[in-house]
Amino acid sequence: MKDRLDQILRSTPLRLALALIVLFSAVSLFSLAAAYAVTQRSFDQTMRADLFQDMAGFRAAPTAAALAGLVDAEARETDPERLILSYRAFNGRHYGNILIARDADGYHIISPSPGNPQITGRYLSLTASLHGGQLTIARSLNEVEALGDLFRNILFLSLIPTVLIALSGGLVLASRSAAHVRKISATLDRLTGGSAGARVRPGPGWPADLRAIGTKIDVMADAQETATEAIRQVSSDIAHDLKSPIQRVAVHLDDLEREGDLGDAGHHLLDKAKAELTGIISVFQSLLQIAQIETGSPRAGFGPVDLGDLCQTFFELYEPPAQDKEHILEFTRPPGVFSVNGDRALLGQMLANLIENALWHTPPGTRITLSLAAGAGRILLGVADTGPGIPASERDLVLRRLYRMDRSRSTPGSGLGLSLVSSIALLHEAELHLQDNEPGLSVTLSFTPT
Amino acid sequence: MLASIQICKEGPAGLAQTRAPRMIGAADRRPARRDREKKMKLLVVEDDETTGAYIARGLREEGHTVDLVANGKDGLVQAMAGQYDVLIVDRMLPQIDGMALVRTLRGAGNQTPALFLTSLGSVDDRIAGLNAGGDDYLVKPFAFGELSARVAALARRPQAMERETVLEAGGLKMDLVRRKVTRDGIGIDLLPREFALLEHLLRRKGRVQTRTMLLEAVWDISFDPMTNVVETHVSRLRAKIDKPFSTELIKTVRGAGYRIDA
Repeated sequence: MKDRLDQILRSTPLRLALALIVLFSAVSLFSLAAAYAVTQRSFDQTMRADLFQDMAGFRAAPTAAALAGLVDAEARETDPERLILSYRAFNGRHYGNILIARDADGYHIISPSPGNPQITGRYLSLTASLHGGQLTIARSLNEVEALGDLFRNILFLSLIPTVLIALSGGLVLASRSAAHVRKISATLDRLTGGSAGARVRPGPGWPADLRAIGTKIDVMADAQETATEAIRQVSSDIAHDLKSPIQRVAVHLDDLEREGDLGDAGHHLLDKAKAELTGIISVFQSLLQIAQIETGSPRAGFGPVDLGDLCQTFFELYEPPAQDKEHILEFTRPPGVFSVNGDRALLGQMLANLIENALWHTPPGTRITLSLAAGAGRILLGVADTGPGIPASERDLVLRRLYRMDRSRSTPGSGLGLSLVSSIALLHEAELHLQDNEPGLSVTLSFTPT
Repeated sequence: MLASIQICKEGPAGLAQTRAPRMIGAADRRPARRDREKKMKLLVVEDDETTGAYIARGLREEGHTVDLVANGKDGLVQAMAGQYDVLIVDRMLPQIDGMALVRTLRGAGNQTPALFLTSLGSVDDRIAGLNAGGDDYLVKPFAFGELSARVAALARRPQAMERETVLEAGGLKMDLVRRKVTRDGIGIDLLPREFALLEHLLRRKGRVQTRTMLLEAVWDISFDPMTNVVETHVSRLRAKIDKPFSTELIKTVRGAGYRIDA
């Protein structure tokens, strides 16, 4: 889940959406800021012009008394929140709606009436000396400030939906294309994991670029499957065709034996030839079987299999031979049913191969432990030994057909045991892990329970 | 199982893999005339000349009467006409293939036991073969001893014996109900699989049981392990039922398997 989120967050469509949001916000911000500056300037100019015009009106008064009367009359009808008129006559008397006093620190508003105790806010003021007194006209800047708020609201209201739309669009696109990318990636995983039949099959709703990639992968997989199938068919055919001649060789060797008069040396050679033939047959059978398993047909034999029963059967089967080879085979059956969907015969052969592998490639005294456990939605089947183990560099190689480690060349076996295990595991969609048992080899198969 | 569906009731029903027979070994010296079996009339339908001749000769050396034909059409005609004990039929035959041959026979009400020989070995083939009315299945290349033992198993089914609750041989008594084994009156403790192994051999007194037949019947295993598991288990069983006594009950038949004499 976290990975999926991470994948979406780092996907191209979401990044594009985020970049677009940033660009759009910057452009909106810039144009609104410019509009605001222009509007504010024109407001400012209008206000200054108004102030000068007001002042000019008062200048027209011929005497101080007339001016005082004019100011008073005007002040009565004027809200000081909007416009302040304040005239201090030469005799110290004050007229206007608010008393403004000026000292060295600037203007102070002194409220003349208890109804307007406090006037706050910013004002643009103009002061002139008229008829021995001082007239101050101040216009409130509230409207300019309201303009700022208005522009901020416009910015907010236009940006929020844009960001939301762009972001959710980006997320939708990202998760859709992430699903496509995931499908492509899963298909590639399955192809490299050995499922030759895996295909992307991009639908018509896919983005053109991803569809092109998906189609190309499918074409490639088709070609690969055809080639693999041809090789498999050829090797299957060869194995089948060689079976009759091998049977005949066996017949001839048998006839030779019945002739008698071979002498000790003759019998010795005959036995060697028969042993070699047995080896050839075993390799052929294993190759054919792996080919059959990999073509997937044995799923017909699938049904519920209790791995507890299976382990118990094979433990009982191999315990005496292990003892004869001076190995210690251990299994403590845990309580409960460990049911998987599979082919009992194939799973048994897989287990037998793992036990035999441990039995034949380790020295006497080696302890071989079968284990069975359930947890985290998986069933874990383990075969671990305390033998020499397999170096980390060779652990993948031993799963390959006919691969044999240098030191195992002298021990019996076709070199197909572990690759058969690997293909049976693959058929059952079980994960096969080879690990260091410190010392020894630990093989774990992780199954999905039924 | 191979032998199974109709015959050995104890055989498992589905088998999956190719058995790699240990056809040849140092012990293979004198394969013929090992069984004091009833002499049978057998039909071999095999198109490979060498293999056909080999099978026919081997079976004749055991005292059986053998007819050999090389194609499916002749095979069908012969099988319909003659009263055979067992048919040995190659899966891949010219004209009428082995499976069609047996299916036709069964359709006509002929229930002669049939053993398929095949160079194929997949599950599907096997199941198809058994569904077509085949009673057992042997994958080429096979050891003659294996063929001989399986033919004998097909011809003589242990039905009558299945009702017995006490099996006996050479002073050994096996009580299947009380699950007790004694020899010369001395009690012997057997593990469950040892008990099953002994019961299987006793039920088929006088007949050779091959390693693969024992693996199928006692352990439900249809592949041939590299390790000599059957040998080891038989030797454990012998240590209990034979070693402390004067005569050997379980005989090794070289190149073929094991037998308890009647």
